[in-house]
Amino acid sequence: MNKLLTMNKLLTTSAAALIAVCGTAGAWAQSINESELSDPRVRQAIAYAIDMETIAETLFEGAAIPAVGLTSDPANYPKGMNTYSYNPERARELLAEAGWDGSRTLDMVYYYPDQLTADFMAVVQAQLADVGIDMTYRLLEGDVGAQITGRPDDPVNGPSVVEWDMLYGARAAIANQEYFNRFAEGQMPMIPTVEEMLPLVEQVNGTVDPAVQRAGYQQMEGIINENVYILPLYYQQLYIFESDRISRNGAPYGNEQYSYNSDVINWTVEPNEDGERVAYTNAAPMQFFELPWQNLGIWVHSRYAFDTILEADGSLTPIGGELAESYEVSEDGLTLSFTMKEGLKWHDGSDLTAEDVVWSIETAALAPIVQPLVATTIGSIEGADAYKAGEADSISGISVDGRTVTLTFATIDPNMLMSFAQFAPLPKAYLEGVDPLQIQQHEFWQKPVGSGPFMIEEARMNEFTTLVPFPDYHRGVAKIDRIIALPSADGDANLIRNAAAFRADFGYTKNATDVPALEEMEHMNVTAVNIPYTRMFWINQFPRE
Amino acid sequence: MLTYFARRLLTLIPMVIVISFLIYLGLELTPGDAVSHMVPPDALSMMDEERLQALRESLGLGKPFIVRYWIWITGVMQGEFGYSLAGGVPISKIFLDRLPATLELSFAALLISTVLGSILGTISALTRGSLTDQSLTVVGMLGVSIPEFFFGLVAILVFALNLNWFPVGGRILPGYDSFWDRLPHLVMPAMVLSIMMTAGVMRYARSSMLDALSRDFIRTARSKGMPEWRVNILHGFRVALTPVIVLIGFRLPVLIGGSVIIEQVFQWPGIGKEFVSAVRSQDYPLVMMVALFSVLAVLIASLIVDLLTAIIDPRVRLGE
Repeated sequence: MNKLLTMNKLLTTSAAALIAVCGTAGAWAQSINESELSDPRVRQAIAYAIDMETIAETLFEGAAIPAVGLTSDPANYPKGMNTYSYNPERARELLAEAGWDGSRTLDMVYYYPDQLTADFMAVVQAQLADVGIDMTYRLLEGDVGAQITGRPDDPVNGPSVVEWDMLYGARAAIANQEYFNRFAEGQMPMIPTVEEMLPLVEQVNGTVDPAVQRAGYQQMEGIINENVYILPLYYQQLYIFESDRISRNGAPYGNEQYSYNSDVINWTVEPNEDGERVAYTNAAPMQFFELPWQNLGIWVHSRYAFDTILEADGSLTPIGGELAESYEVSEDGLTLSFTMKEGLKWHDGSDLTAEDVVWSIETAALAPIVQPLVATTIGSIEGADAYKAGEADSISGISVDGRTVTLTFATIDPNMLMSFAQFAPLPKAYLEGVDPLQIQQHEFWQKPVGSGPFMIEEARMNEFTTLVPFPDYHRGVAKIDRIIALPSADGDANLIRNAAAFRADFGYTKNATDVPALEEMEHMNVTAVNIPYTRMFWINQFPRE
Repeated sequence: MLTYFARRLLTLIPMVIVISFLIYLGLELTPGDAVSHMVPPDALSMMDEERLQALRESLGLGKPFIVRYWIWITGVMQGEFGYSLAGGVPISKIFLDRLPATLELSFAALLISTVLGSILGTISALTRGSLTDQSLTVVGMLGVSIPEFFFGLVAILVFALNLNWFPVGGRILPGYDSFWDRLPHLVMPAMVLSIMMTAGVMRYARSSMLDALSRDFIRTARSKGMPEWRVNILHGFRVALTPVIVLIGFRLPVLIGGSVIIEQVFQWPGIGKEFVSAVRSQDYPLVMMVALFSVLAVLIASLIVDLLTAIIDPRVRLGE
């Protein structure tokens, strides 16, 4: 009997040791600087300590998908990715191995002011406490950006430029590279340079070959997963709601935060008692119409009043031209040319020309707030640097021949098609001569003139915006007579009330707590859409002063 | 009285300057600025510092605090209210667009609360100790102690979503423009906004009326054989009205401030909603102008209350 017990113990110990070795393979359990959090075993322990499956099912009511990698596409994962399934025992073992003595209290910060986030923090605090890690949490107030960014002088030993141990935040990306690009040397305020990531970041950015990119993503996901440089928590979904009055007539659902072909001109809505086909939505402006280069699709005007040069499908994959009738990429991937459709018009009836497109690209190069992916693409055009530095009057890599615009890139930009599928040109006639730094402050944004299927009829800031079909739209006239948009930003606090009062026929929400309320309404339908939006913990691996 | 009025008006100027400086200083001490609020944190972490700095410079945020305050205050004195940093909209336009909505809501609430509060307070005083008095006292306590947003949410649930009597929010719908079109939208927010003040006026009117009714001149009036209603209304109510007017006068600016929450709950497009958004985004020219407006409203209301008190109560002599 004793022998059996001893055997059992031996086996258990060996198995535990084996698991421990496998679990830390590659990292070999060392701090790389004075911070305990630079020890991968401590970070792995944090990963094992959090029961994300249960949290997703209970706290988030199923409206969260527990994450494995930074990207949600399993094709980007190498074989054997550790899912870090809830295992408090393993967490305690790893902490013991790392010499964690429990004397340090981790300072967790977050920037979402909602109750759900605060509740999530409380759960994480309890689960970490269960394995012996004390944690306090606080909402970042004031200048959030300054508190989460910065670059340590020494990219390995720090000291840290941020004053927290863990940050709960998100990465919303339209291109996979966006998840990894900050691993380029010295660009992370919380992660010491990871040498093996540097060539991989270059690899995925230096090719348009999806297979080469994929291989790079797999390696990077593997490295991050093994060392828990970042701890991905869950993938957030987006929920498209529609009332039973409206029909998309088979048009696809997609990532509503960006521009994609939702075929809005063929949507129909039941006529009201006056026989008018009116659809209500939200996302109207509160003080001004936001430049459609910043948040590419969240506002009603960005989606329906402005067309983009190229077009993407619901997953944001470029599928062809929107304002452009055709496009062509050179074999070396350094030249993109697109030919604009003939007879394009702005909402005021004037011609939309290639000149408008060129002016828009050059203005976006200097505008302060442009979606990072689009900014990167424009910044990669030959001569963009000199233009931005004020050393040239125009971007030398842009040329025009009739309706054809040719862009020559200084370096390969793997996402150039995706960028131009999100980029909406603006009418030069209204904005020419404006300081690009202050383009958003121009009065044009009180009632902008666009090129999309709907044009702005009336804009009463903070009250409503009405949009009516653009009669000269290049794809035909929309079937809905009028869209009435009520003002709201992302995370509409009035959504449920408006939906209950039949004042929300279509729209989307990312707020998981809205979903059950919407689903309870007999006249509302909710469709969940997977989007690249990963909630994660950034762990500060630099020593704090 | 004219000298007094002119002197009081002149004293407003240094008071406004000092208060505005303190508010400006408060904003300056708040972490962050308009730029850090223009860019969402997720995107901010991917932007380079040079771009952010260029944006700050372009919006005039690069200048020292005292220089910015000087530019702002001298601009205001010349009638230049500046522009909202977020969208470049002239602040005068924002005021012209939003203030009527807030004033409409505040005056409606003031009217409801004054009439209801005075009547109920007087009834309560005249029926002192009765069931009516006690019931009104309890209702008054509830009105004062329960937050307005709670009443607002309950009102929306009951009257808009269940009974469908009133719209769920907003001020008007496209295609409608007259006051009568707006009236259904106004009823619920005005009623809710007036609840707390009605309760306050009622309690004040009650105690003031009781105080007045215990005075010698009331006994004298009764001894002269005047009808009870004349004693109560012409003698008692008139005297009781003085402190109530003071309360109402001071409540108007408070109402404008109080409408901030109600505007949020009822999606009312007033200056309060704009103020909340401006504070969040540290849009200091807009915050300053709304704050300045509130300060002026309080100071001017106080002046008007003084004048009204002197007119109603002959015992009050201004400037003595």
